[in-house]
Amino acid sequence: MHAEPTVYLFVVSIGASAFGGALGMAGGIFIVPFLTLFEGVSLQSAVACSIVSVIACSCASAASFLRGGLTNIRVAIVLETATTLGALTGVLLAGVLSMPFLRVLFAAILLVSAWQMTQRRRPAPVKAPAPAKPTEFRGRDWATMLRLHATYPDHALGRDVYYHVRRLPLGMLLMYGAGLISALLGIGSGVLKIPAFDTALCLPIKVSAATSNFMIGVTAAASGVAYFARGDIDPAIAGPVALGSVIGSVLGARFLMAVSGDRLRLLFVIVMAGLAAQMLQAAFQGHPTLQVT
Amino acid sequence: VSGDRKPASGLERCLATTLQLGTWVGSCTIAVGWVLSATGGSPSLSTASVAIVRAGIAVFILLPALRVLLMAVVFVCEHDYRFAAIAALVLAVIVVAAALGVRMAGVVPG
Repeated sequence: MHAEPTVYLFVVSIGASAFGGALGMAGGIFIVPFLTLFEGVSLQSAVACSIVSVIACSCASAASFLRGGLTNIRVAIVLETATTLGALTGVLLAGVLSMPFLRVLFAAILLVSAWQMTQRRRPAPVKAPAPAKPTEFRGRDWATMLRLHATYPDHALGRDVYYHVRRLPLGMLLMYGAGLISALLGIGSGVLKIPAFDTALCLPIKVSAATSNFMIGVTAAASGVAYFARGDIDPAIAGPVALGSVIGSVLGARFLMAVSGDRLRLLFVIVMAGLAAQMLQAAFQGHPTLQVT
Repeated sequence: VSGDRKPASGLERCLATTLQLGTWVGSCTIAVGWVLSATGGSPSLSTASVAIVRAGIAVFILLPALRVLLMAVVFVCEHDYRFAAIAALVLAVIVVAAALGVRMAGVVPG
């Protein structure tokens, strides 16, 4: 282990997690392209290291969301059955799918994420408004039977707001896909979680951000244990990346409060489109750094 | 019994503390191993430093599994057996994934 390149990895991870965190995503989507395109790390190893970074981001920022009463842990544990099963499928598929296919998939996820970032995020309009008190609702849907509906403290309104969880089966299906993509590509899979939370489950944005952050740790841990046991995780890379991610996600949480998102958003749309182009090029031409080893 | 919860219940505070503490333990372990490796020194020291970094990474990977276990225990204590079973299912998937990783360890990727 040489100190100099690992310091470089450490600094890049701080940046990826801080800016990713400010935009409500894990840093994995930037760490994997960085490791494979610029550091000559194999995709398999980069994905495994990035998974550790995703776990570190989740663990480091979960506490403040939990203490703020924003995380719906009941919704989280129910959806985690789907995301961990998806991750398990992803671990199995990772050995079968070809490298060019995975690179194209990564590029596609980058492009869709970039497009998603240009859209203003809002939960789907609710046709039947939720009752003011949870006890007034007597539904027979899954979310009601599992008692998932809850309240969260809204600081702008200065009171607790009651919300209703909808269409759980559709949400579970999207979450299975999110777990699969997360394990395959070493990312947080915001791409599928945003429609799951906003369109299927109709959670308030603050609740979905907190719950998503809480869930991704367990989702990534499911593939993380497999990659760790398989010996894919190189401590020389994953160590500095994880440490940088913890520091970055703490800084990112501060950024989120201070910086207006629009310019940052535009910058990241451009960065993600650029990374997608390089990933596609690597997929079709073979990347020069890969031939060295 | 209604589904709404008071913000930051006992379980939520407990999970927050566990994750925060675990993050500190994992980060400090990795940092110690990293500093040791940077100082150079004998080959045995370098082997030890890699092992310490690996242990720190293991702390991070096991931390979410620990919080699922914690949730399962609390759900059992609250007689919420349905949710205890859901948490147990999540834990079981993680255990299967670990077993799968061990099995795959011998196979060289194509």
